[in-house]
Amino acid sequence: MTATSLQPKSLTTDARVRVRAKRLVLYTILVSVTGLFLGPFGWLILSGLKTQGELAASPVHWLPDVFQWHNFADAFHQIDFLGYARNSLVIALIYATLVTLSSAWVGFGFARLDAPGKKVLFGVLLGSMMLPQMVTLLPTYLIFAKVGMVDTYWPWVLWGLSAAPYLVFLFRQFFAGMPRELEEAAIVDGCGYATIFWRIFLPQSWPVLSASFIIAFTWTWGDYIAPQLLLSTDRTTLAVAVMTAYVNDGGTPVPELQAAASVMYVVPILLIFLIAQRGFVAGMSTSGLK
Amino acid sequence: MRPHAGAPLSRRRFLSLSAAGAATGAAALSGCAMQVSSGVSGSGETVTVMVNSGDILPEQVQQAKKDLGIKIVLVKYDITKLIAMLTSGNPPDLVRGVGAVDSPFFAARDVAEELDPYFSRSGVLKVDDLDPVNDLWRFDGRTQGKGPRYGMAKDFSQDSMYWYNTSAFDKAGVDHPSETEPVTYEEWQETAKRLVQRKSGQTTVFGGSYGGLTRSTLLTTMTASAGGSLFNDDFSRVDFTAPEARKALAWYIDYCKTKVGPSLIQPDPNGWDGPTYQAGRLAMSNSGYWMGGMIYPDKKLAEVSRLAPAPLFAGGTRISACQGGTGLWMPKKAKNKDAAWRVFEWFFGEEPAKARAGGGWGIPSLKSMRSLMPAQEDAQKRALKVQENELKHFSVVSFTPYTRADALDALFNQIAPAAMNGQISVDTLAGRLNSAINEQLKRGKEQVG
Repeated sequence: MTATSLQPKSLTTDARVRVRAKRLVLYTILVSVTGLFLGPFGWLILSGLKTQGELAASPVHWLPDVFQWHNFADAFHQIDFLGYARNSLVIALIYATLVTLSSAWVGFGFARLDAPGKKVLFGVLLGSMMLPQMVTLLPTYLIFAKVGMVDTYWPWVLWGLSAAPYLVFLFRQFFAGMPRELEEAAIVDGCGYATIFWRIFLPQSWPVLSASFIIAFTWTWGDYIAPQLLLSTDRTTLAVAVMTAYVNDGGTPVPELQAAASVMYVVPILLIFLIAQRGFVAGMSTSGLK
Repeated sequence: MRPHAGAPLSRRRFLSLSAAGAATGAAALSGCAMQVSSGVSGSGETVTVMVNSGDILPEQVQQAKKDLGIKIVLVKYDITKLIAMLTSGNPPDLVRGVGAVDSPFFAARDVAEELDPYFSRSGVLKVDDLDPVNDLWRFDGRTQGKGPRYGMAKDFSQDSMYWYNTSAFDKAGVDHPSETEPVTYEEWQETAKRLVQRKSGQTTVFGGSYGGLTRSTLLTTMTASAGGSLFNDDFSRVDFTAPEARKALAWYIDYCKTKVGPSLIQPDPNGWDGPTYQAGRLAMSNSGYWMGGMIYPDKKLAEVSRLAPAPLFAGGTRISACQGGTGLWMPKKAKNKDAAWRVFEWFFGEEPAKARAGGGWGIPSLKSMRSLMPAQEDAQKRALKVQENELKHFSVVSFTPYTRADALDALFNQIAPAAMNGQISVDTLAGRLNSAINEQLKRGKEQVG
C-alpha cells in the first residue's frame, strides 16, 4: 500500500525534474541564441564607448578603461544629427504610409478580384522581388534626373504609390483568408469594391497594416543606396551621414564616433519595434508568413 | 448635408481632399526637400561639387557664400552616382578625383574640361606656382604628366615613404632607418621580419605595412623604382613578366607570404594603418607625410614617430612618386563653368588651401604655401626636414587611361591570393595577371577609341 501510494508521487517528481531539466536546456539555448544575436549590438555600444586606441588594440580590449561617454555627444554635434534624422523621418514616413496603403490596395485586388491574367500578373509581381536593386540603380537615376526629381523627396512618393511586391504579398495572404460572406453581404448592401476595401477590409487589417508600416519604415530608415544616389549632402538621410560624415581632417574615418552614432541611429527603429511588436508579430502570423 | 464623423467619404470629397493633399505635398517635396543646418540657401549662382565628407566643411560652404556669392551644393562622391550624372547630361560642376589614376581615365574619355585657358587668366592660381605634383593632372592623349591640365591636387604626399615607431625598433634592437638615405625594399622587408611580434600564431604587432594607396599604383611605382615600366608605350598592356615588374611583384607577394604586415590574406581589422599604428601595433606604416596630421596631436606618439624616405630596389632608381594627388576636376558638360572655376580658385588658392596647408595632412599643391606647413613642434620639424629632402626625388609615374585603378585592383585581388598562399608561383601569377588585366585594358581601349 505504502509502495503503491509512493510510486505516483515519485513519478510526479521525476516528471517535474524532467520538465525543469527540459526548460533549463531550452532557456539556456534561448539565452545563448539571444546573446549571439545581441552580441554585435552590444559590441557596437562598447565600441562607441572606447578610444580609437582601445578599438585597435590586440589582444582585444573588451571593456574601455574609461567609458568615453563624450563620444555620443561628439557624434551628435559633429554633424547636424537631428537635421539628418528629420530627413530620414520625413522620407520614412512618406514612404511607409503610402506604400502600406498602396500595397494593401493592390493586395486586396489580387486576393478578392478576378480578372484574366491575374495569376500571371501576380507571378510577375513576385518575380520582380528577385531583381537586385543594383540592376535598376542607374536607370532609376536617369529617369528621375529626366523629370527633375533628383534632390527632392518625390521619388519616395512615387515608390510609395507604386506598392512593394513583398507587402502586396503580405496583404494578399491576409485578405485571401477573410470570409467571402463579408464581401457578399456588402455587395448586397450596395457597396462597391472601393468601399468594401476602405470600410470593411482595411479596418480589420490593423495587424498587417502595422507590420507593413514597420517593415517599410525600417527599409527606408536603413536605406543607404537610394538617398546616396538621389540626394545632395544637405538633404540626405541619417543612414548616409552616419556612414560617411565621421571623418577626421585627413578624410579618414573616426570609428568610435561612427559606432556611437550608429547606436543612436538604431534607437528609433528599436523603439518603434518595441511599441508595435504585438501588431507586427500578429500581422506576420495572420498573413500566413510566419 | 455635411457628412458626419465616420461616414463614408464621398468621391467628390475624396478627390478634393486628395487634390489639396497633393498640392501641399508637391510644395513640400519639390525644391524644398529639407536641408540640414549646413545647407546654404538664398539667391545667387550655384555650383555643385562632388566630394567626400571633410573635403569641404559646412562652415567653408557658408564662407564661400559670403565671400564669393556662390552657393555650393555638396554631393557625396560616389562613382556610380558620378557616372549616372555624367550619363544624364547633368554632371556636378566640380568632381573629386585621384590625380594619379583618375585624370588620364576621364581626360581620355573626353569628359573632363581642359583647364589651361582658366589657369592662364587666373589671378589666384599661377602656373609657375604649381607644385610638380599637379602634373599628375596633365594628359596629352597618351601619357599622363604631359599636355593640358585637367585638374589640380588639393595636397599630396609621396606615398612610398613610411613612418616608423622608434620604440618598436628599440625593443627589437634594430637600428633606426636613415632619415636621408633610403633603404632597399629587401632591407625594409628584413627589418619588418625582425619587428613583427606574434603570440599563439596571431600577429600582435605588425612589422610593417606596405600596400600603397592601391595595389595598382603600388606595383606601377615599384616597377618604376626597379627601373622599368609596368605598362607598354601606349599604356594599353601590362607585362608582369618583364624583369622589373616581376621583381616588384615577387617582392610584394613575398611581403604577403611572410605575413609581416597587413595584406589580403592577413587583413588589418581597422581597415587602414592609422588606428593600428596609433595603438602601437604597427612598427612601420607605408604612409606619406599626410599621416603626420594624425600623429602630431598625440604627443607620445609624435615623440616616437619618424618619417623615412621611400625605399628603392637594390641597383634601382631613387624615385618617390605620389600615388594620390587627390583634387578636383571639372566635367566638360558642367553647367556653370565660370562660377565653378571661381570655386576652384578659392578651394585651391585661398582660405581652404591655407587651412589644409597648416593642418599637416599633406603637402600644399602650391609652392607658395609650403611656408604654412606645420613646424612648431619637434616632431613636425623632423618630418618636414625629411619631407623637404624627399621632394627632390619626386616624379610622375604614368598610369593607364584605359581603366580605373579599382578595376585593376579587383582583378589583382581575385588572382593574387593563390600566390600569397603559396598555391601558385610568381611566374604563374604574372601570366594570369597579364591575361586578365590586358583583357580589361583592351576593352577600355575600345571604349576610348
